[in-house]
Amino acid sequence: MELAVIGKSEFVTGFRLAGIKKIYETIDIEAAESAVKEVLDDKNVGIIVMHNDDIANLPEIVAKSLNESIQPTVVALGGSGEGSTSLRDKIKQAVGVDLWK
Amino acid sequence: MVLQDVKPTRSELITLKKRIKLSESGHKLLKMKRDGLILEFFKILNEARNVRTELDEAYKVATDKINLACAVNGVVAIKSTAFTTKGSPEIKLSGHNIMGVFVPKISSIGVRKPLYERGYGIIGTNSYIDETSDAYEDLVEKIIIAAELETTMKRLLNEIEKTKRRVNALEFKVIPELIETMKFIRFTLEEVEREGTFRLKRIKAKAKD
Repeated sequence: MELAVIGKSEFVTGFRLAGIKKIYETIDIEAAESAVKEVLDDKNVGIIVMHNDDIANLPEIVAKSLNESIQPTVVALGGSGEGSTSLRDKIKQAVGVDLWK
Repeated sequence: MVLQDVKPTRSELITLKKRIKLSESGHKLLKMKRDGLILEFFKILNEARNVRTELDEAYKVATDKINLACAVNGVVAIKSTAFTTKGSPEIKLSGHNIMGVFVPKISSIGVRKPLYERGYGIIGTNSYIDETSDAYEDLVEKIIIAAELETTMKRLLNEIEKTKRRVNALEFKVIPELIETMKFIRFTLEEVEREGTFRLKRIKAKAKD
C-alpha cells in the first residue's frame, strides 16, 4: 500500500521530494473534494496526509467521512496546532471526559 | 418485553428466570470487556499524544527547510527536482487483536533513502534540497507511526462506545424489565392459587348446608 498526499502545491512539493508518488495537487475546494473522494475509494491507499486547513474547508459530509475512515486513515498536519480535533471529539464522546491535554 | 405479552404460567416463569441469569452474566462480561478496553486505551493514549507533538515538530522543521530551499534555489527548481525522485515508500498492513478489536500494525519499507538513491542529480542541486528531503523522509516516518496509533485509538474508541451502550442497555433497560415481568407472573400465580383455595372453601361450606 502507499501513502497519498492531498493539498496545495506548497504543501505537496516536500512530499514529492520524499519520494511519494500518489500526490493530488489541488487548487480549490472542489478539486480537494473530488480528490478526497477518489482516494477514499482507492483500495491501495493506506494513509492520507492532508493539511488541517484543507480538511476544515471541506464540506462537512466529506470531512466527516474522512475523519471516520479507518482504512485509509487520515493524518492531518499543520494549521493552528489542533492536530487531532476529530480524535479529541471522539474521545470526549466515547469516554465522557476530555483526556487529550 | 411488555407486561401484557406474557402469559402468567409456571413454565414462562422458569424461562424468565433463565433469561435473567443469562442477561446478568452477559452484563458482567460486557462490563469487564469495557473496563479492559478502556485500560488498553489509556496505555495508547499517552504514546499517541507524544507522537502527535513529535509529528507537529517534524512538520514545522520540514516546512522551514523547504522554505529555505525555495528561497535559495527558487520554487521552480525545487518542484522540478521533486518530480525526478524515484522509489516511493511502501507500507504494509498487518494486525493483531485487542479484545476482539482488530488493530493495525503498519510497517514501512523504503522511507529513508541515501542520497544517491533519491533519483535527482547531484550536480544542479545543493545541500538545502538534500536537507529538505531528509526532513520530509523523517516526517513521513513519523506520519506512519502516528497513523498506526491513531487508527488503533479510533477503533478502540468505537468499540468502547459500542460496549458501553450495550452495558447500559442491559443494566437499565433489559434486566429491570425482565425482573418486572417476573414479579408480575409471580403475583398473578399467587393470586390464582388464593382464588383456588377460596373457591374450595366456598364449595365446602355449601356442601355442608
